[in-house]
Amino acid sequence: MSILEVHDLRKVYTSRFGTQQVEALRRVNFSVEKGEYVAIMGESGSGKTTLLNLLAALDKPTGGKVLLDGVDLSTLPEKDVAAFRRDQLGFVFQEFNLLDTFTLEDNIYLPLVLAGKSPREMAGRLEPLAKWLGIDGLLKKYPYEVSGGQKQRAAAARALITEPKLLLADEPTGALDSRSTDELLSLFAQVNRHGQTIVMVTHSVKAASHATRVLFIRDGEVFHQLYRGRDTNEQLYQKISDTLTVLATGGEAR
Amino acid sequence: MKKGFYLRLALDGMRKNKRLYLPYLLTCGGMVMMFYILYSLAYSPVVRDMRGGDTMAVVLLLGTVVITVFALLFMLYTNSFLARRRNREFGLYNVLGMNKRNLSRILAWETLLSALISILGGLAGGLLFSKLAELFLTKMAGGSTGFSFTVAPRSIAAAFLFFGAIFALLLLVSLTRVGVLRPLDLLKSEAAGEKPPKANWVLALVGLGLLGGAYYLAVTIESPLTALFIFFAAVLMVIVATYLLFIAGSVTLCRLLQKNKKYYYKSAHFVSVSSMAFRMKRNGAGLASICILATMVLVMLSSTSCLYFGGENAIRGMAPYDMTAALRYDGPEKCSEQTLAELADLAEAVSGGRAGDPITITDMVFGGYFENGSLDIAGYSRFLEVSSSPSVLEHIRGVYLLPLRDLDRLTGESHALEPGQALIWSSGDAYKYDTLLIQGCAPIQVAGTLKELPFRLTTEETLVTTYCVFIPDWEERAGELQAFLESLGDEMALPDTEQACFFDLPGLGEEEQLRIAGELRQALLDRMDHDDRAWTGFTTTARADLRSSFFSMNGSLFFLGIILSIVFIAAAALIIYYKQLSEGYEDQRRFGIMQKVGMTAGEIKSAVDSQVLTVFFAPLLMSGLHLSFAFPFVKKLIRLFGVTNTPLLILTSVLCFLIFGAFYVFVYRRTARAYIAIVSEGEERR
Repeated sequence: MSILEVHDLRKVYTSRFGTQQVEALRRVNFSVEKGEYVAIMGESGSGKTTLLNLLAALDKPTGGKVLLDGVDLSTLPEKDVAAFRRDQLGFVFQEFNLLDTFTLEDNIYLPLVLAGKSPREMAGRLEPLAKWLGIDGLLKKYPYEVSGGQKQRAAAARALITEPKLLLADEPTGALDSRSTDELLSLFAQVNRHGQTIVMVTHSVKAASHATRVLFIRDGEVFHQLYRGRDTNEQLYQKISDTLTVLATGGEAR
Repeated sequence: MKKGFYLRLALDGMRKNKRLYLPYLLTCGGMVMMFYILYSLAYSPVVRDMRGGDTMAVVLLLGTVVITVFALLFMLYTNSFLARRRNREFGLYNVLGMNKRNLSRILAWETLLSALISILGGLAGGLLFSKLAELFLTKMAGGSTGFSFTVAPRSIAAAFLFFGAIFALLLLVSLTRVGVLRPLDLLKSEAAGEKPPKANWVLALVGLGLLGGAYYLAVTIESPLTALFIFFAAVLMVIVATYLLFIAGSVTLCRLLQKNKKYYYKSAHFVSVSSMAFRMKRNGAGLASICILATMVLVMLSSTSCLYFGGENAIRGMAPYDMTAALRYDGPEKCSEQTLAELADLAEAVSGGRAGDPITITDMVFGGYFENGSLDIAGYSRFLEVSSSPSVLEHIRGVYLLPLRDLDRLTGESHALEPGQALIWSSGDAYKYDTLLIQGCAPIQVAGTLKELPFRLTTEETLVTTYCVFIPDWEERAGELQAFLESLGDEMALPDTEQACFFDLPGLGEEEQLRIAGELRQALLDRMDHDDRAWTGFTTTARADLRSSFFSMNGSLFFLGIILSIVFIAAAALIIYYKQLSEGYEDQRRFGIMQKVGMTAGEIKSAVDSQVLTVFFAPLLMSGLHLSFAFPFVKKLIRLFGVTNTPLLILTSVLCFLIFGAFYVFVYRRTARAYIAIVSEGEERR
């Protein structure tokens, strides 16, 4: 069963004075099954961040639609969008996006507090999650006091604590060193094995090689896709590299 | 070309940061303007030639001193704010290869430009508005002025001198700051990670304690003059306490709220409380400054306006009649009805018959410590020295000893009293004892009390309870008292014996009244030269005279209060504006994050609004609190100027607070636009 369906998605940006139009996405079609781990790859400017913003309902498409669990995001009234995003989606960003006025604990609680959960329930949810993510000793610290990897794990905890239908990640390893990157990627793989659906936007081959499926975007279109099948991470890594080489040298293979 | 290059960089820098510089220059210019106005008025021939012009000049000059000192402090503060914002730009120049000498040249140009713009602009404004201010001041002080326009070269020179010196000092400070900074710090200084604010219990409690102590002192202070030192201590305590409470107390309160999980983990409080702690840490000092400025404005305006508007009443209290003339004697035996009649005749003569029937009395005045119907007059002057506590003050009595024949003559009634009996009028509660025992004098039996006097006493004398004691055997009793008090050998303890004449001059203008007062005075001076007079001295009081000196004092105080208030309000407005700017830059970032984790734009806006409102209106509320606790002191202070009208003071205080509050809201709204512009800029960029 598809948890996410994208039909004919199109996004056109108009410059401030309306003189120039840029088509960031055109005719994007794909769907994500429950329990899948999909990586979306592309160069800078290929439209992947635009796509993610549309999936997260942070932006409105010019044409086409996004269905999450059968609900058309564009039909949601403005006031429900934020609640929808909060309850159904989890986010992990490249720049962590933790609020520096909160401790890690309070940052993780934020979506639950907004949803009106009781302190007791929040603590009950956080405890096993924090242990599993290895941040249970850091909860009282402020973001500026911990490392990038620890911040990203806290951000992941914030995304997972609502038990979202879909975890969206935007370049989650972009600001991490290689050790933290490995930790986070194995964490994502583990979360995925527990049944969490993940859509990750990245241009890191290494990050993408942990996914079960890789979509390639070029010039606003889905250009190619790879399935893991029975490949190991290394084999998938090789395939991705090859595909990127073909993309870069201008191959028109479809 | 080189020279032009640095000038251009300086101009560019100011233009690019006009959001910061324009209000700064406006405020500096405004201070120069107010300085010029006050200074030129202080030395203006128009003011000098007014009645009481000397006092006014002193008051105005005092105002220029206050403005200069305030301008110095305030410009140091804003300059450091500007410098912090611009460090990044200078860091960039430095990395691009400019050395500190080059940076210093840019800074020098910038300071020179700021100085020229604000001094010249301020002087232009000052020249334009000084005539208006002069008209305003002379109107308030009860004088008149022509319409000639004057330029005061001396004041222009003074403005250049004082404000030039302040700008030179600012340059020196900026240069030192650039001198000690390293380029990487310059680049980073704005983005340095911020440590979470810590709850400082000790400071918060000290602040609370100081505030409580200061309020206690302000409320219990007795006499504002003898307790001047205590008053200044209280003011200092309030200032320190305000800073401590805004800086440490607010953060501690937020931390306390965070400890309460049930309260804290509610979506309405969660974001607000935690970012409030950070906001207060950044803004505590600025907000405390706003609060102090607001309090100064409120106290100044409420007291000076009360002095001004309560003036007429106070004058009527101090001088119950248009004209008073009193002859002094060194003993009661020298008084005679004939002299009193001559004084009345003289009054009628100089007033050209306008005085009607002048009221004349003979009296002996002394004071004492009263308890259970007996008056101790021997130690009266000693009591006054220690009379600061209300329990002593309650027992102090002023006594007018008058012959019964005066009462009969003035009322047209005839009271039959035996020697040793008396009729007593009291300014306070009615006299309730059967006898009045005065030291050194036979007991006086109280035959009755009077509800009303046939003449008006001055209100000064009603501050302590005053008795008017009418006795048939005045000469003997007064003689006994005189002998007794003389025997003490204390000059201060001697009673005053006088024969006085009061009259009104209905329908006569102030000039006329003053002329009559002059003639009366001259006539009495002429008689002083004759040796056959029994009296030793005289006083004449014209209410018109009192009024002009009163209003030249209180009018110029009120004028100064208004001018200084404008300056302080402008300063507070600029601080508010800068706070809005820096808050805007901070919130720009947070807005985005909060939206991504699932807050609606509405939720974010209401959370931010509630914080921003708290931040900006806390100082106003606090200053209102300060004002109410300063009230008892202000009341006593204006009493020194003869104004005892408490309802009027309440009215002016409330009005000042409301007007100031309305103005504050206006400033807040205007500056909030800058905040919104910055925050939405960030949204566009995303």
